[in-house]
Amino acid sequence: MSAGPTTSAAPLPSAAGPDVVRLDPDRHVPGRRAPGFGAALNAEWIKFWTVRSSRWSLGLLFALGAGLTTLICWGAARDLAAGATTEVPETFITFGLLFSQLTAVALGALVVTSEYGTGMVRATLTAVPRRGRVLAAKAVVLAGVLFVAGVVTAFAGYLGGNWFLDREGFGVALSDDGVLRALVGNGLYLAGLGLFAMALGLLVRHTAAALTVGIALVLVVGNLAYALPGAWGEWVAKVMPGNAGGTVAQVLPFNGGAVLGPWTGFGVFAAETAALLIVATLVFRRRDA
Amino acid sequence: MIVARGLTKTYGPKTAVDDLSFTVEPGRVTGFLGPNGAGKSTTMRMLLGLDRPTSGSATVNGRSYAASPAPLREVGALLEARALHPGRSARDHLRWLAASNGIPRARIDQVLDLVGLEAVADQRVGRFSLGMGQRLGIAVALLGDPPVVVLDEPVNGLDPEGIRWVRNLARELAGQGRTVLVSSHLMSEMALTADHLIVVGRGRMLADCSMSRFIADHAASYVRVRSPRTAEVETLLRQHGLDVDRQDVDRQDGELRVQGLDAAGIGELVGGAGLHLHELTLVQSSLEDAFMTLTADSVEYAAHQTETAGALR
Repeated sequence: MSAGPTTSAAPLPSAAGPDVVRLDPDRHVPGRRAPGFGAALNAEWIKFWTVRSSRWSLGLLFALGAGLTTLICWGAARDLAAGATTEVPETFITFGLLFSQLTAVALGALVVTSEYGTGMVRATLTAVPRRGRVLAAKAVVLAGVLFVAGVVTAFAGYLGGNWFLDREGFGVALSDDGVLRALVGNGLYLAGLGLFAMALGLLVRHTAAALTVGIALVLVVGNLAYALPGAWGEWVAKVMPGNAGGTVAQVLPFNGGAVLGPWTGFGVFAAETAALLIVATLVFRRRDA
Repeated sequence: MIVARGLTKTYGPKTAVDDLSFTVEPGRVTGFLGPNGAGKSTTMRMLLGLDRPTSGSATVNGRSYAASPAPLREVGALLEARALHPGRSARDHLRWLAASNGIPRARIDQVLDLVGLEAVADQRVGRFSLGMGQRLGIAVALLGDPPVVVLDEPVNGLDPEGIRWVRNLARELAGQGRTVLVSSHLMSEMALTADHLIVVGRGRMLADCSMSRFIADHAASYVRVRSPRTAEVETLLRQHGLDVDRQDVDRQDGELRVQGLDAAGIGELVGGAGLHLHELTLVQSSLEDAFMTLTADSVEYAAHQTETAGALR
């Protein structure tokens, strides 16, 4: 290790020696400019659409969401006509959400856990070393896609379900109180749920674990919370992420339990999601990839 | 150019990389050599901003990797483990990478062609063999036509033809004036590729010198002497102050390993004493042996029976 190599004084390639050609960095890849957030967004957009799991999840989201709403309304229309139920038709018009929310959780978790499972995250971070930018790009793509998918699914479910309700004379008009809000709210809630699951995925870095925690928290624990006694128990149940966030996506609550108002509920859910995302981002920025 | 200063990484009580300082110069291939578990991959991950050093710093072209506005245009890296989603096609994988750094799409076909994957570019990479995966990794590294190229164990899983291709590619890239850092745990591979060597063991620097210097310093040589009258020859050589090592001298194929004088000198000595020789050969120990000797104390997972090593040779 004594005498190192005979290095030339200048570190530039052009001065390294007579055998070394000057490297033109723009030879094959012209247009040298600093790619900004748009480039990261574009990359995440391509990534999202080039794996099967995204397309499968979205297909399932639509099938479950719109399909189940239609099916439930078909059944409800007969019961309503026969006077066999005391429910009001508005309860059923976004019912498929109960199941489509599962696919939103799956999609949100997979967006990050699939990268950890495959080692992709290292490629992602060598391409875009600014980790906050990576997460922002992922979040925009995920939330954007889920919002559109949620609204489209809700409208399809409304059209399908309302056709049956209308036939029996129980049709719900778009202009009725809360209907349009619930349809658009479907997109908002699913987008939020995707981000919530994405934050969970970032924290646990494992698909199965993220799915289990996400689904348990949103569905199981959310429903169990209604069994808690007293006023504080009711309060806890109201602010559980699924219960609070779901309100904006329903014309009238499905389960009859105490809920917050639609926008208050969504506000609480948005705050919970934001808090979880901030924690996940801080952890992600510090952690070795 | 890559500069590491006091680079250190600890995981709890275990030190993976211990105060490494080195410079990787442009225009030549620098081999980054060490046994498995020596800290090569950890070092490379720190160079690429994936892992945060416990202390010390690494810069590429004068700034930290993360500070580069378009890192793929500055540093191309082949990471050891496959860093890709098995469900995505090779072309799509390159497509998002290109998009992330504002690299024109035309470059994707160029690199696919360069690594010979154009025919399978639209297949899902989960179906790729290890060698095809490595080729895709190299395509990724060259996507931004970067002046600095970092290849972690690039010949893993490649067939002999592929190995030669990587070797030539590394030399060609260096010949173009690029900074090329290639890691390997195989000395024989480095001997054919690298101009300069950085050898690490247990996270510590063992050598940082030119390949020729490494050979001169570490590849020991001796003269193999065989004679029907071994004992007398040995006594004679020892009387002349030479270093003699007996190897199975009781057997027919036994030999003396002599250091301190060249073959011609030994021949004259022995001949002068009227003794016969059956063999007189200069033996240059291989670089592999030199590397083994150098890293002997720093191998992470050593096999304990020396017979095992002999049986596999």
